[in-house]
Amino acid sequence: MTFTGAIGAVCMFPLHAIIRVCVRLRIHPNVLTLTGVVINVLAACALGLRRFVLAGVLMVLANIFDFIDGKVAKELELESRFGAFWDSVMDRFSDITLFIGLIYLYSELQRTDYVIITALAMMFSVMTSYTRARAESLIDKCKVGFMERPERIVLFMIGAFTNRMAAVLWVILVLSVVTVADRIYYTWRELRQAEDLVPRGARL
Amino acid sequence: MTQIVTWPALVLWRALFWTYERATWQYDLMVIAILAFVWLTPPSWIGDPVATDPGPVEWVMGLLR
Repeated sequence: MTFTGAIGAVCMFPLHAIIRVCVRLRIHPNVLTLTGVVINVLAACALGLRRFVLAGVLMVLANIFDFIDGKVAKELELESRFGAFWDSVMDRFSDITLFIGLIYLYSELQRTDYVIITALAMMFSVMTSYTRARAESLIDKCKVGFMERPERIVLFMIGAFTNRMAAVLWVILVLSVVTVADRIYYTWRELRQAEDLVPRGARL
Repeated sequence: MTQIVTWPALVLWRALFWTYERATWQYDLMVIAILAFVWLTPPSWIGDPVATDPGPVEWVMGLLR
């Protein structure tokens, strides 16, 4: 087993217990999703006020809700297409909120350079999700690139708990740019291959 | 000679054009590289506005000076 796999397996123990409690209480998964967003807003406020450890704790809490909502929906047989849409939209709110907290902090500190870096990291994080969603309306799957939401969230937590947010922002920015480029290239390649399979006369 | 040139290029290409799943050894390597950058880069090198400690590398460099 890889070490990231082992960490994931260890984290699953308490999460299974929380999922069981939520299922027993029959909490609607959409409520869990919304609760996660509200806690993420509080985490963003803590980031903005330079309370990094508190922000880290709130992020852990928020992402527990974010992680379990799908599992609870499955257990309660409440999976729906709207639930998937709601979860996806709320994820974008949560992502952007955390970046806004940091933008507020760096603007308070009059660090224009880091305001720009954070804004760019926010833009490319949103673009990472958008490119995949748009690509998967054209091709079967577009799951390439390293920097997806779980990686971003864990990096935010590491940055908050160890007070290394600047380095984390650089990593998120650079790898998000690469991920967006990967998805654009992959989609172009897949579409070109699909077009090559269609006889020239049959094309629209 | 061609292999010597193409091998690092291939590694770089595979690191950039990422197609590996989570919990693979390639994923572990990438995570280690990222954590090394985050924890070992001295905050002063990247002008970190909020870091309060110099970090291990700058601490060692201070000892060597």
